[in-house]
Amino acid sequence: MSEVEVRDLRKRYGRIEALKGVSFSVEEGETLALLGPNGAGKTTTIKIMTGLINQYEGEVYYRGKLFDAYDVAMKKLIGVVPQHNNLDKDLTVYQNLKIHGLLFGLSGRRLDRKIDEVLEFTGLLEHKNRKADELSGGMKRRAVIARALLHDPEILYLDEPTVGLDPAVRRSMWDFIVRLRREGKTVILTTHYIEEADALAQRVLIMDRGRIVAEGEPEELKMKLGRFVLEVETENGIEEEFFKSREEAMERARAINAPVRIREVNLEDVFLRLTGRRIEV
Amino acid sequence: MNGIRAVYYREIVNFKNRWIKVWSASIIYPALFLLAFGYGIGKNAHINGTSYVKFLIPGLITMSSMNQAYGISLEVHISRYYYRLFDEYLVAPIKRWEIVVGEVLYGITKGVIPAVVLLAYAIFAHLGYRLGLDFVVYFLLHLCCFSLLGFIVAMVVRSHADQAAFSTFVMTPMIFLSDTFYPIEKMPPFVRPLGYVFPLTYSTKLIRGSLLGLEVNPLYKFLLLGLALVLFGIALFVARRAEG
Repeated sequence: MSEVEVRDLRKRYGRIEALKGVSFSVEEGETLALLGPNGAGKTTTIKIMTGLINQYEGEVYYRGKLFDAYDVAMKKLIGVVPQHNNLDKDLTVYQNLKIHGLLFGLSGRRLDRKIDEVLEFTGLLEHKNRKADELSGGMKRRAVIARALLHDPEILYLDEPTVGLDPAVRRSMWDFIVRLRREGKTVILTTHYIEEADALAQRVLIMDRGRIVAEGEPEELKMKLGRFVLEVETENGIEEEFFKSREEAMERARAINAPVRIREVNLEDVFLRLTGRRIEV
Repeated sequence: MNGIRAVYYREIVNFKNRWIKVWSASIIYPALFLLAFGYGIGKNAHINGTSYVKFLIPGLITMSSMNQAYGISLEVHISRYYYRLFDEYLVAPIKRWEIVVGEVLYGITKGVIPAVVLLAYAIFAHLGYRLGLDFVVYFLLHLCCFSLLGFIVAMVVRSHADQAAFSTFVMTPMIFLSDTFYPIEKMPPFVRPLGYVFPLTYSTKLIRGSLLGLEVNPLYKFLLLGLALVLFGIALFVARRAEG
């Protein structure tokens, strides 16, 4: 039985069809990335799976049981890190976490102990009594993750976990997400950063315009195109050719009388090949 | 009940951070009305044998407590649209009615403040009000109604401009046309029907009646109770539709 299973999700916003039949499953302990440009339907998918959207077609199952947004046990199974750092900026980190704990039925010493535990894990213990508004962007993100971990969820949703963070902070956030996987959490993340999906996910779903256009392990998806890509500058722009080895790419490069570049294939190449467009954010 | 506790805790912690502003606003507004109307224009006036000041204070209690209770509207709106805090409630294992009740309890808490201040003044000034259980029941019903109205408006409006329009076209006329400053029966006949549409008219009549020991049409109690139930139903409906 899959940890999470999604069957034929469809969602309309007026005349716009945001999801056009999305189906996939996630296994226990797996890290899955939903990769795609803005408007691909990643956040809508996650919002349906976490109960933030309750008018849709299709089904979501957790451990074989149909998802009910009012099912207390099912809600306790999941933790959500939304795209927006929705902390109460006038409250301290501790107070923000306490509200979450109360919402999930924790209280008293047990709650205080759990708060210290997640703040320790996220490296924010010394900032416990600082107002959320005073934290840096990276710290705010970690505080939101600490909050999501407070009730010990087994499935964690991270919606664009590193958006708006500078590269150095993004790297440390990746290390942190890897640690979550090591803790045995099932992680479902959305991202429009190619390298993020590549670095973190064991399996990637590439989404575009409300559909899944490709699914598989990052290496497997890339290998379908080849290992190396030769970029040739032409009058019409950059054209790409794919090769299984660097030697083959170099041999071809020598035969071309134009500026060229050889690099490894990435997930954006997969997206480009499938959709004819680049991932634009 | 976890939801009620969490929502109320959040609001109260925020409230503690700005308690001076809330208390001073609760005091200044009715104090100015009391000064201008009670001790200014209406100094030697009487209404149905009662001094105008004694008539006015129950109106000021309902008006200022209504403002405070309804005032949760802006706070709920900001926390929902700008801080997206509502999402945190929606992903939690709580029922939507718990969110409504938590916010209403906060509205009641805020609404009690100006009443405490004005009643303390009334006791100090020996105005001789009768503080009975009927007053407490009517006052709580009154606060429930306007907290629920504030919650509904926060969930329905899309912008501050919509919220300001609701205040201008509904709340402000209600303050002046609902038996607060002068009896609705003394208003020009063409305005009177409007006064009877506003719920503040009934809560003011009930609260004033209980404080002065006067007979009030018993129908008003049921009207206020009925209104509170209807508003709770609407609040639940809009909360269930939130972000859906």
